[in-house]
Amino acid sequence: MLNDPVRPASGARIPVKLHRRVCLVQTEDAVLAEELLARKKLAQDVVGRLTDRVLLIRPGRVETVIQELQKMGHTPQVSMKDEGRRTK
Amino acid sequence: MVSSISYLGLCTLYLSDPSYWSELQRHTLASYDEALLRQVAARLVKPRNQWPVADLVERGAAAISNPVLIDRRLQDLTPPARRVLALIGHSRQPYWNLGNLVELTIALGHGDGLQPVLELLEAGLLYPRLMGATEAPNSNGASGKKLKSFEQWMAAPGPTGLLVFAPPAIASRAMGEDLGLPDLSKDEVRAGSVSDGKPSVAYASGSFQEADGLEWLLRLAVLWQQVAAAPLRRTLQGDFFKRDFERLAQDALLNAAPADQLSEVPDVAFLAIALAEQEGILTDNEGELRAGPLPAAWDKSLAAALEALWTDLPRLSTWNPLDGWRGGEMQAGNPFPSAYLLAFLLLARLPEEASVRPETIEQWIIAQHPYWTNESLRPSRQQPWMEKFLLGVAYQLRLVQATRGEDGAWRVRLSPTGRWLLGLGEAPNLETVHTQTLLVQPNLQIIAYRQGLTSSLIARLTQFAAWEGLGAACTLQLQPETVYRALEAGQSFDSIRLTLEQHSTRGVPPAVLDSLRTWSNKRDRITVYPSATLLEFGSAEDLNEALARGVPAIRLSDRLAVAASEESIEFRHFRLTGTRDYALQPEKCVQVEADGVTLSVDLARSDLLLETELPRFAELVGGSPASGRRQYRLTPASLRAARSTGMTLTALEIWFHQRAGQPLPPAARLLMSAEQMQAPQLRRHLVLHIVDEDLADGLVQWPQTRELIEERLGPTALVVAEANTAALREQLRSIGITLSEP
Repeated sequence: MLNDPVRPASGARIPVKLHRRVCLVQTEDAVLAEELLARKKLAQDVVGRLTDRVLLIRPGRVETVIQELQKMGHTPQVSMKDEGRRTK
Repeated sequence: MVSSISYLGLCTLYLSDPSYWSELQRHTLASYDEALLRQVAARLVKPRNQWPVADLVERGAAAISNPVLIDRRLQDLTPPARRVLALIGHSRQPYWNLGNLVELTIALGHGDGLQPVLELLEAGLLYPRLMGATEAPNSNGASGKKLKSFEQWMAAPGPTGLLVFAPPAIASRAMGEDLGLPDLSKDEVRAGSVSDGKPSVAYASGSFQEADGLEWLLRLAVLWQQVAAAPLRRTLQGDFFKRDFERLAQDALLNAAPADQLSEVPDVAFLAIALAEQEGILTDNEGELRAGPLPAAWDKSLAAALEALWTDLPRLSTWNPLDGWRGGEMQAGNPFPSAYLLAFLLLARLPEEASVRPETIEQWIIAQHPYWTNESLRPSRQQPWMEKFLLGVAYQLRLVQATRGEDGAWRVRLSPTGRWLLGLGEAPNLETVHTQTLLVQPNLQIIAYRQGLTSSLIARLTQFAAWEGLGAACTLQLQPETVYRALEAGQSFDSIRLTLEQHSTRGVPPAVLDSLRTWSNKRDRITVYPSATLLEFGSAEDLNEALARGVPAIRLSDRLAVAASEESIEFRHFRLTGTRDYALQPEKCVQVEADGVTLSVDLARSDLLLETELPRFAELVGGSPASGRRQYRLTPASLRAARSTGMTLTALEIWFHQRAGQPLPPAARLLMSAEQMQAPQLRRHLVLHIVDEDLADGLVQWPQTRELIEERLGPTALVVAEANTAALREQLRSIGITLSEP
């Protein structure tokens, strides 16, 4: 548990807090993150900055963010769960 | 497995997968009522004892893998029933509409078309499709309702009609059966189609021509790109909304005539839609058609791609060569699938080198097919269509060869591909020997010479370049969007470069490679996780330990890691201290201390939004994950910083309601709004302290003293101006109060 002061022994279960269905944008560097935050339309969908390279996106706004990134000339890589090749 | 695919668009990969069919057969038999199951099993597996139902189902499903048993059961059938199975075998399409099979049987000369089909159902060699197209069987493999008889099933056709299927292992064993079809070339001779004493069927004026089989693949590729850019919307009736309809009907590429067009095809763009839906290239998502993946068969070979399209023909219901597109119409029967198959089988009956006019085949079908022999058939339904189908569709699918007869009319015969698809010949080698077929130009245009194109190359080009022209030499354009789409589909800069270099007649211009590299690199600069799972560890050591154990996550910070999907995480490594779902409303997890400026966060209930919101207006002052709480404090500096980034008093009030469940504390309000307040004044006052509140009220109310009192500080404290002291003392004395002074 996060509030467990004892370190997990090797093989023991690691305490972790899970954040599900999180929308994130990760940039190559901090300068690029600043550039994105400077874009007004994009900034209003950014609720916070987890690290200097990771922006937390408002839930349900990811499509708008991707479209805005593309308008800015970026070609963001959208990381989805693995989808196997269709065999009809 | 059965539930994972559509029954209507069945991939050729499944055709050769016996486990799929035995599973489907098992599921269907399990859906039979016990009496019906025993009746069918008695003919299929002939049990010697009273076996349990489960055993009967298993043995029935196992029969599919026993060719000797299948051959014996085929011999037990009447010739008409064997012919029905042979027809299904020739079509390579295991699913058929019951009505089409009845039509075929009648066309072959059997008065009662239903009897042979019933015989097959009762023999366990043909099965009814009991589920909806996408409905999955129950976990035990059985559907909820048991089928008591085939008549009961026929009496209640669902919205998709009555479908039956024959596993390919069964249908293919019946293919040697003589169908009793005539050699129509003899009919032409008898009818006087003779030139210079020789029947024209055998002596065509020129050599036969055969298409390359790529035309429909290219059109489907164009359609895929168009729909990937903007999905198509359907009305409830199944037609397209006007804007999308016009977009399809007027599209220059989709509607362009093929380079070697022999006959015009009605509503050609809509035929592409119908084929694309069967192929799974387009998928229906609540009335919106979206681009799915390109078929895996395209990667395999052109023959596999054509085989898939061949099996789609009997499943076409929204388009036919007589009416064109019929997407939005209510259709009472669709005789074309059975007519298509009859046409190909009639061509297969021709002697080698012989050919016939399409209308000869059409005449036979009109004379034999129960749909066209119906006397009440409207004249509009009797218009010719066979030439459009054979020369427009089948020719471009490489199923038939065509030549001009001496009378100038087109004649057709089966191609080696058509013969192979009917199960009457060896698989032809359709692969091209020219691999260098692309010309990549510095302006990012690609010219693709048709003779070197393959189905797999079409699939790859479709992903990273936009088709701009179809013809003997096709043109494509490399664009940032198309390259981005290819990268999303799993290609890389290297795979795109390799494709171009492998197939280019000359080297790829450096400017093109530079553009590709720039677009690819740009994509790597930003990664978007639309629905990621974030793992928050208590310490950097815990995160390191998790990554060392192979948890498929990417480190974001010393305590945070992200996984694109939760499904890949093995939770046996973890003990969950809390979970937060970001699709849900924010939770109250902040306690405001008595000072009004210290905020205590419950870490078990907090979320990332909170962790990013708080630093905007508060300073971290203490606490740790170990204590389960973290403390922040509102300070003049932190709130000043918040104001400078646009945070308002209203936003802060809302935040306190959402996160702490209480109004903004006065101290916090003071700090947030202090700078906007009017400057307070520091003044000296004489304060009149009264022992009794009622007395103070009287002094404030009595007109003689009211104007001498400047302000009331509290219940018993009144401010008096120094200049009014004497007058107040006089007034108080007049009512008997003596003012005492310290």
